[in-house]
Amino acid sequence: MKLASDRALWIFAAAALALPIIADGNKFLAFVLGMTYISLLWATGMNLMYGFVGLMPLMFAGVAGIAGYAVVHLTREFGWSFWLAMPVATVMAALAGVALGLPSLRLKGFYFTLCSLVIQTVLTLAFIFFPTYTNGDTGINQIAPPDWFGGQLKGLGLELMIALFTVVGILLCAWIVRSPLGQRFVAIREDDILAEAIGIRVVRCKIIAFFIVSLYAGVGGCFYSVYIGFVSPRAFDVLVSMNIWLFVAFGGRGTIAGPIIGTAILAPIPFLLQELQAFKDILSGVLIIVVTLLMPGGIYGAWLARRRRTQKAMTDSARVQESRV
Amino acid sequence: MSVRLLEVSGLSKRFGGVVALKNVDGHSVAGETLGMIGPNGSGKTTFVNMVSGHIRPDSGTLGFAGIDIAGSTPHQLAEIGLCRTYQAVRVFSALPVRQNIDNARLLLSHRGLDSAELGELTEWLRLDTRLDVDAGSLTLFEQRRLELLMRLVLKPRLIMLDEPVGGLAVTEVTEMIQLLKELRARCSIFVIEHTMRVIRELADRVMVLIAGEKVADGPPADILRNKRVIDEYLGTRHA
Repeated sequence: MKLASDRALWIFAAAALALPIIADGNKFLAFVLGMTYISLLWATGMNLMYGFVGLMPLMFAGVAGIAGYAVVHLTREFGWSFWLAMPVATVMAALAGVALGLPSLRLKGFYFTLCSLVIQTVLTLAFIFFPTYTNGDTGINQIAPPDWFGGQLKGLGLELMIALFTVVGILLCAWIVRSPLGQRFVAIREDDILAEAIGIRVVRCKIIAFFIVSLYAGVGGCFYSVYIGFVSPRAFDVLVSMNIWLFVAFGGRGTIAGPIIGTAILAPIPFLLQELQAFKDILSGVLIIVVTLLMPGGIYGAWLARRRRTQKAMTDSARVQESRV
Repeated sequence: MSVRLLEVSGLSKRFGGVVALKNVDGHSVAGETLGMIGPNGSGKTTFVNMVSGHIRPDSGTLGFAGIDIAGSTPHQLAEIGLCRTYQAVRVFSALPVRQNIDNARLLLSHRGLDSAELGELTEWLRLDTRLDVDAGSLTLFEQRRLELLMRLVLKPRLIMLDEPVGGLAVTEVTEMIQLLKELRARCSIFVIEHTMRVIRELADRVMVLIAGEKVADGPPADILRNKRVIDEYLGTRHA
C-alpha cells in the first residue's frame, strides 16, 4: 500500500498546526478540535499496531489510562511538573503495555484480540478497585492544566501543544513505517511464519511494537487528563479502544492518510450529537458492521484500490494500443 | 572425509497417541543433495519442522555444521545458514515481488549480498521481469522460484525443500529439476519429494521414512530397488 506523498504530509502538518488558531474564536469548536487531535494521536498509534503489525490491541485505552492516572498522581501527590510527569507516566505505561503484551506474543488474529480484550477488562477493573490512585468509579475531577513557565498552559496554548504532539506523532509513524523496522512489521502482518523463516525476529519486533504503540497511548492519555480535567474508568474502557480502532479501520488501516481521514470524520460526531446519546452508540455499531463487511480497506484503502484498478486498466489499454501499431 | 552439515540422532516425536517419528538418525554432508521419501504421514514434514525449529523434538539431538541447534528458533537458523521452504507455497502474496525479496534481505545486510549478485539470482530464476507484480498473482511455478530466491538471498549453506515440484505441470517439473541441479553449485540441498524423477535425477543419497522410522539410507539406485521400499511405498519398480 502506498503512503501519502511527502508533500501532502507536510501540508497536512502545517494545516493541523494552524487549525486551532482559526478555531480559537469558538470555544466549543476549539474543544472538539482538541479532542479530535487526541483521538488522532491515539489512532496513529493504533494504526501502527493494527495497520502495520496486523494485531488489534483492544487494551489500548487501558494503557492510555495507566498514563492518564499516573500523570495526575505524579503532579498532584508528588508535585511534579507536568512536563516531567508526562514522559515518566508514558514510559511507565509503555513498560506496562509490553508486560501486558507478553502473554499474547505468540497469538495472532482473533486470538490476540480476545486476549487483549481480557487485559483491557482487567485494567478497567483495576481502575475501579484501586481508588487510592484513581478515586474509583467517581473519577478524579478538577485536574489542573499543565504548568507553563510559572503560569498554566490552557486554551489555545494547550490545543497548539496537543496539535504539535499529534503532528510529530504522525510524522514519526510515517518515518517508522518506511524504515527497516516498519518493513519488518509489514512482513509480520503478511505472514509471521514466513517472516521468521527468512530471519526476521518476530517476537522482538512485536515487543518493540508494543512499546512504541503504548507510548502513543500514553502521551494521548496524559493530554486527555489535563485537557478534559476529569478522568474516570469510563474514559479508558473497551468502548474507547473500539472507537479508536474504528477511526483506523474506517479511514484505512496500514496507510498514513487513512486514520487521519477516519478520525477527522468520526471523532467529532459524539460531540455534535451530544443530545442523542443512544443514537451515537447505534451509529458507531452500524459503522463497525459496515466497515467490516463492505470496506475492509477503509475509505482511503478503497480509494487506493480503485485508483490502482484504473491505472492498471489504462496501462493495459495502452499496451493493447501499442501492440496494434 | 567430507564435512558433516546436518547431524541428527535419536530424533523422536509423538503427537498425543500418534508416534510421528521414532528414533531417527541421519546426517548430510556439505555439497550433498540428500533426498527424503516415504508415504504420506510417515513423518517427513515433522522431520523438517523439527530441524528448522518449528516444533521441538521429544528427544534426540540436532546439530548443524558442528553447532547444537536444539531449541533454536527459525530466525536463528536462518542466520547460521539453514533455511527451508514449505510444502504449501508461502510468499507475501499482498506485496510486490521486489518487496518480498527486500524482506528476505533485511536480515543479512551485514553478510553483504550486493545488487549484482541479487540481479544475477533474479535473472537465473527468471523473476527479473516480474518484480513489480504482487507475489499473489504469480503462477505457482513463479511463486516456487520466488521462495527459492528469498532463501538464496540469505546465502544458506543448506536449504531444505519440502516438495518443491508439488502441484507443478510436467514441463515445469523438468524446468524445476534443471534449476535445482544448478542450485547444487550454490548450496547443499535436503529435499522431500513424492516425484521419483526428482529423487532419481537430483539426490546423491536418499533416506526412506515409513511410519516414523528410517528404513533405508543409501544411493537412489539402490533405494529404488530396495524390496521393502517398493512393497510399502513405491509399489512399482522405479529404478
